[in-house]
Amino acid sequence: MKTIYMDNNATTAIAPEVVAALTPFLTDQYFNPSSAYEQARPISAALNNARREVAALLGGVTPDQITFTSCATESNNWAIGGVARAQPQRRHILTTAVEHPAVLEVCKDLARQGYEVTFLPVDRSGQLDRDAYIRALRPDTLLVTIMHANNETGVLFPVAELARIAHETNPAIVFHTDATQAIGKIPVDLTAEFEQVDLLSFSGHKLHAPKGVGALYSKRGTPIRPLLIGGHQENNRRAGTENVPYIVALGEACRLAALHLADVDRIRGLRNKLEAALVQRIPYLEVNGRDAPRLPNTLNLACHYIEGESILYQLNEHGICASSGSACTSGSLEPSHVLKAMHVPFTAMHGSVRFSLSRYTTATEVNRVIEVFPEVVASLRRISPYWDAARDAPRPTAPHEPPPQP
Amino acid sequence: MAWEYSEKTRQIFMDAVHGKPGTHMGEIEKPDGFGEHGSIVCGDALRFSFRVRKHATDPLQDVITEARYLTFGCTSAIAASEALCTLIEQGQFTPIHALKITTQDIVRFLEGLPAQKIHCSVMGAEALESAVYNWAQKRGVDLAQAGVQLQTKGEDDGRIVCKCFSVTEPYIRRKIKELNLRTIPDITNAIKAGGACASCHHAPGGLQDLLDEAWGRKPMSGGTAPALPAAAAPGEPSPFQLYKHIEQVVAQSIRPALQHDGGDIEVVDVKDDLVYCRLTGACKMMVERTLKEEINEHLRVIAV
Repeated sequence: MKTIYMDNNATTAIAPEVVAALTPFLTDQYFNPSSAYEQARPISAALNNARREVAALLGGVTPDQITFTSCATESNNWAIGGVARAQPQRRHILTTAVEHPAVLEVCKDLARQGYEVTFLPVDRSGQLDRDAYIRALRPDTLLVTIMHANNETGVLFPVAELARIAHETNPAIVFHTDATQAIGKIPVDLTAEFEQVDLLSFSGHKLHAPKGVGALYSKRGTPIRPLLIGGHQENNRRAGTENVPYIVALGEACRLAALHLADVDRIRGLRNKLEAALVQRIPYLEVNGRDAPRLPNTLNLACHYIEGESILYQLNEHGICASSGSACTSGSLEPSHVLKAMHVPFTAMHGSVRFSLSRYTTATEVNRVIEVFPEVVASLRRISPYWDAARDAPRPTAPHEPPPQP
Repeated sequence: MAWEYSEKTRQIFMDAVHGKPGTHMGEIEKPDGFGEHGSIVCGDALRFSFRVRKHATDPLQDVITEARYLTFGCTSAIAASEALCTLIEQGQFTPIHALKITTQDIVRFLEGLPAQKIHCSVMGAEALESAVYNWAQKRGVDLAQAGVQLQTKGEDDGRIVCKCFSVTEPYIRRKIKELNLRTIPDITNAIKAGGACASCHHAPGGLQDLLDEAWGRKPMSGGTAPALPAAAAPGEPSPFQLYKHIEQVVAQSIRPALQHDGGDIEVVDVKDDLVYCRLTGACKMMVERTLKEEINEHLRVIAV
């Protein structure tokens, strides 16, 4: 059976051009870029070239502001922890309730160490309340860390604007954004609209590079201590021999992403088609984040009265790969913290499904999902104790009031 | 996590959702026994019903002829429900005999379940138990006299240990023994308790204490767990007088001028010398200049 891959917010297919670019560095070109001899020179040149490609994708910042890391999780850990260690006297951190765990858990850990951390709530559409942001911001705030695009819903936060407000409050506040889901999917220009952002994290495997490589943009002059020490690599900002093949891969992936940014409209068109068709065919279906600005590739649905893992399992019988925020897929027994923060109705909370597209997604694949998904939902509703199959509607006795608060 | 279901589980699930003949999805009208377990908030729920061939004189000799379920839940929850009904119908059990079907029987029938999915099959056994209780009431059977100790009765009233999934102390105590649960992950995998916020793991009277009591070890935790620092309060309140003054200047000098040109201003917040304003059709510099002139020269306007 042919795989229909609709889980590009989890990871992406490695572009063939990327594989071609990195392969020599797994074979002949094995030299250490720090070595003095002639053979090492092409290696360090390749690193520089990759750094230029990444810098170019981010709007043409100077390449020395890019540091390669092992993944976005490292970049986030470094950004938050490194800023905290650089200014130990400042103790307040501002973030949101819907960050990726690689930010959320780091912030919670700092809270356990005595930092004051404010977790901003979101509304039903997944958006931040700007006034709540302003009220929480303080002149003595150390760090604001707010994601650019949400990995589950694709909802975009206005980080350019939030960064400006932070810096006008006090230029010493450091503004970090986890842009893992945005880079490569939408334009992010750190020399123009996003000029106020100090630190930006992202990873390679979300934009058709392999897993195991990421980057942190740090604006010159931003106070941040390294996470890994013990070597001069990356301008003393990140010790450890460079992962040359994957850094080259990231550079090539960024070059391709810049070329393909024009595909955004086509991807958005496919997503909108998928959304409209499913909403039309399936009753009691929520589109999470529908009323907010969203990534063009992401569609997060919540089906009332059924459970997400069994949806995914059936989709997979048709070769379709998607993901869910349901408790049964997370390994934690708790449904998604993002959907909870958005107050998705509890009758739909466990029935979420995320489709995320890429530039490789075709109209045929989207049509196939439109064909398959409604029947999957219907089959699980027939088996659900909360659904009346005869009327194709919830049973009159099905719960619909807010659940008791624990 | 990736799926690790047996081929049998997969087949049973797919047959069930496609309503293949011989599967048991559905509900019996006017059932002889009816029971439910779980809830939509927790993420899985099961509605179970059965019909018996009634014995003319002795209800204890009723035989279950038909069992049906409706399940809200994951792949293994649905497969476990199907397994339960199949086992009951195949066995031609009396309701009391059917109670002997254990979680392990269901897991064996499914040719294994991933550890973290065991709670899905526990749900089946619980729903069966409450359906048998329902049958006994309808048929006037005294279960205690028949030698059955139905243990779920009254367990709902016990102290709630796991607040996230509303799991009570009597229920956890019973399951620790019944399913031979030795660690906190064992408990979470089997009955979900402790699977979310984790605050009940080592709290006094929490899961570890219940395990220690059950298996004869000395409770370890004493006193209360160290409290985590509270989330931050919003910033320091702005000086009241300054704020009043700003509002006054805005109301008397700035807003009328702006409204004259079709614009408006709303002061969102004031912190130290920073005045956060929502401006429509207005010039930030003009507002700032007025505030500086009329109040103090350190004030700065931030447009939001």
